[in-house]
Amino acid sequence: MSITRRKFLGWLGAAGLSTTVGTAVDAASNKQFKGYPESKGVLFDNTRCIGCRKCEEGCNKVNELPLPDRPFGDLSVLENRRRTTTKSYTVVNRYEKVSSPSAPVYRKVQCNHCLEPACASACFVRAFTKNQNGAVTYDASVCVGCRYCMIACPFEIPTYEYDSAFTPRVMKCTMCYPRISKGLLPGCVEACPTEALTYGKRADLLMIGRERIRRFPERYVDHIYGEHEMGGTSWLYISGVPFKEIGMREDLGITPAPKLTSGALSGVPIVVGLWPVLLTGVYAINKRKEKIEHQEKQQAVEDALAQAKTEAESKLAEAMEQAKKAQEAAVEKAVNKALEEAAKAQTEETADEQTEEVTKKASEEDA
Amino acid sequence: MKKASALLRWAGILIAVVTVTIWVGGIGVFGSVKPTEDRIDTRADIISIDSMGVFGKLQRPPVTFLHQKHTEALQKKNKDCTTCHLSEKSRLSTKYMRLEDTNKQTTMDIYHTNCIACHNETAQAKEKSGPVVCGECHTDKPAAISSWQPIGMDNSLHYRHVKANQEKCERCHHEYNDLTKKLFYEKGKEGTCRYCHRDKTEDNRISMQKASHIACIDCHQKTLAKNESAGPFMCDGCHDPAQQKLIEVVKDVPRMKRNQPDIVFVKTAKTDEEEANPLTRMKLVPFNHKAHESYNDTCRVCHHADVNACVQCHTLQGAKDGDYVKLEQSMHRRNIDHSCIGCHESRQKVKSCAGCHTSFEKKQQQDQLSCQNCHMAENSSETRNPDNKMMAAMVLESREPITATYDNADIPENVKIGALMNKYEPVKLPHRKIVNTLFNNIKDNKLANYFHHEKGTICQGCHHNSPASKKPPKCASCHGQPFNEKDPFKPGLMAAYHRQCMECHKEMGIIQPVATKCTACHREKS
Repeated sequence: MSITRRKFLGWLGAAGLSTTVGTAVDAASNKQFKGYPESKGVLFDNTRCIGCRKCEEGCNKVNELPLPDRPFGDLSVLENRRRTTTKSYTVVNRYEKVSSPSAPVYRKVQCNHCLEPACASACFVRAFTKNQNGAVTYDASVCVGCRYCMIACPFEIPTYEYDSAFTPRVMKCTMCYPRISKGLLPGCVEACPTEALTYGKRADLLMIGRERIRRFPERYVDHIYGEHEMGGTSWLYISGVPFKEIGMREDLGITPAPKLTSGALSGVPIVVGLWPVLLTGVYAINKRKEKIEHQEKQQAVEDALAQAKTEAESKLAEAMEQAKKAQEAAVEKAVNKALEEAAKAQTEETADEQTEEVTKKASEEDA
Repeated sequence: MKKASALLRWAGILIAVVTVTIWVGGIGVFGSVKPTEDRIDTRADIISIDSMGVFGKLQRPPVTFLHQKHTEALQKKNKDCTTCHLSEKSRLSTKYMRLEDTNKQTTMDIYHTNCIACHNETAQAKEKSGPVVCGECHTDKPAAISSWQPIGMDNSLHYRHVKANQEKCERCHHEYNDLTKKLFYEKGKEGTCRYCHRDKTEDNRISMQKASHIACIDCHQKTLAKNESAGPFMCDGCHDPAQQKLIEVVKDVPRMKRNQPDIVFVKTAKTDEEEANPLTRMKLVPFNHKAHESYNDTCRVCHHADVNACVQCHTLQGAKDGDYVKLEQSMHRRNIDHSCIGCHESRQKVKSCAGCHTSFEKKQQQDQLSCQNCHMAENSSETRNPDNKMMAAMVLESREPITATYDNADIPENVKIGALMNKYEPVKLPHRKIVNTLFNNIKDNKLANYFHHEKGTICQGCHHNSPASKKPPKCASCHGQPFNEKDPFKPGLMAAYHRQCMECHKEMGIIQPVATKCTACHREKS
């Protein structure tokens, strides 16, 4: 079957039109996920953080992670900017020479437990789960090790056990999912001596954050980081200095990561489900059309042939008849001629016979 | 044969190495960018000539003009200001070689002809000269970083001018008569130049910048011409931060003589007739004007728009003159220097006060007791007359500016905090030492003394949110388990302890004990 330009464009049009059906439904749904109701979170207030690293120690203890090379009491590690690792789900960094206060400012880094996690949306085996209580957890048993989650995370949180040859896992903060499920505090929150980390319902934390900013407007930047960033996170931050100055991205926007791809991905069911039907249908219709066309063509040819045949036959018959007639005429003629000749001969013969007879008779008579 | 090919290979490698080395090295030596631009110095005399701006959009970037550089160059040639500035009414105009901006072409020509002519002339005399090509003056590249700082009269500088001018106020101060369109002097109405001369020239009043440059420099020059000690007339003399520090400061400046009161009741009405019924009026506030004069550098701090009683503009109900800021707001507004509370609160930022005062929420509405710290004049026949200065002084005198606290015997010496014992041993808090430190820190602070005369006030720095008393409730009475959903704003007991100590130490600049060193306060349990 050959594809014409018109046909190709037609298919394309049909396929394109079908995808708009999917997104139109999405837009009409007015779907906005604001997090699970009653879900928990943590509010980090950097005006209260003293940089003691007790949270790191608490995290290490409750998650039974290997002890670091340098003890937690060694604050000289704060001289370097650190990232989360497979052995430390949370780290505290120190920022000096920030705008307003002369004192250094600290920032705790860990998984922000997005309301709509980028890692979960990037994972094609559903190794990540956003739990009802707010924690984003990871299931190593289904993980295939593609590390898409690490690329997807805008906060650069998941880490990978590159040093594990056979069972490498993605490692990140779990918001102490097992502990908070039992009604305990996350390890870091429990260890914090100044309540720089406040644990509670995310909705309450937002209220607490706003109230602190209202009471001490001179102390805080009027913004709760994580309220809307990347569609909202369960871990929230309030700060005495602009967030940019403590290494927090302010360019993330308020769109949840899955929404960035949902437009394209909403086309997938259409493409996977509808396109085969649609295109097979189009193909079948075309095919049938061609078949009918073929049949009609054949019929026409047959008819034409038949007609030609009959015509030829009639001509032949005519010719035959004529030939027959001619033949007959000829035969007749010949017959007549023959008859004539015969008659002629007969008469002669008769005469002869007569003579013969006469002779014979004569002979007989003779005899 | 084999040996020869090996030799050839080695030679090739060697050549390659040498070539690469020379090439890379060459870039290293010749390719590196030398810091060509000289260190840009800081100057206080940078003027951006954008005079053509009044005739429409500028065609080229404004010219960065270094004024002092030119003045000094002319001085060397024994030329003075009149080389560039014309005189108008015996004073030099601030404009260059003209008195008026007539039209675009003329103004432009004045600059181009005269600047270029002088630069050419100087160059011909084989002296260091300025540019003559368009782009060298009209450039976006800064010639220097500006160190310019504004300058204004403070009490000391004003007094030095008063003395130098033999108290002839009219030499500087004047009023404007709308009818005769002339300046005149009226004794007793002197105010800050800035009340009339604003940022920009408006109608009949020139800008502060122009006024000060015409008047100040003219007077300084003329005084200097008489071989008397005079103020600066070069840019940096007034505007360079380093030079500003060299300006002589008079200690114990005598009071200005402008009939200002010593101690008065703060007026609540423009005129006596408007005065509200004393029986229903708020208690009057006696105000020590004389003392406040010495607390501030200039009158402008409070008298921000004119030298009158606040109520002249800020009436009880608010008026257009006072931008509808009511008298109450003008006295109580926070975060602003020229209100009473705004200024007093700014004094709480010093270390001896900040420990307690940063942890309190700053509320617009004060508690009743603190209102009475100012609204103290009991309603009586004597205090009914707001002009009764004697009474105002008496009321104020009756107030004792003394910080009070309980007797040492009533203050526990040490407090053992063991409510949360777990990993560490109880903390021995040197309670009395802390109270005494707080007390000694403010006992010489007059402002603090007026507000800490109740014995329990100082205790409330830590024992907050409960009535001041000799036996305040324990911390654990209010603070308990953290993150109580029913009481979300209250810290748990551990955080309450730690934050109370650490945040106060931080604000007061107390380095020891270090907040992150747990064992500095409580020993680890063995």
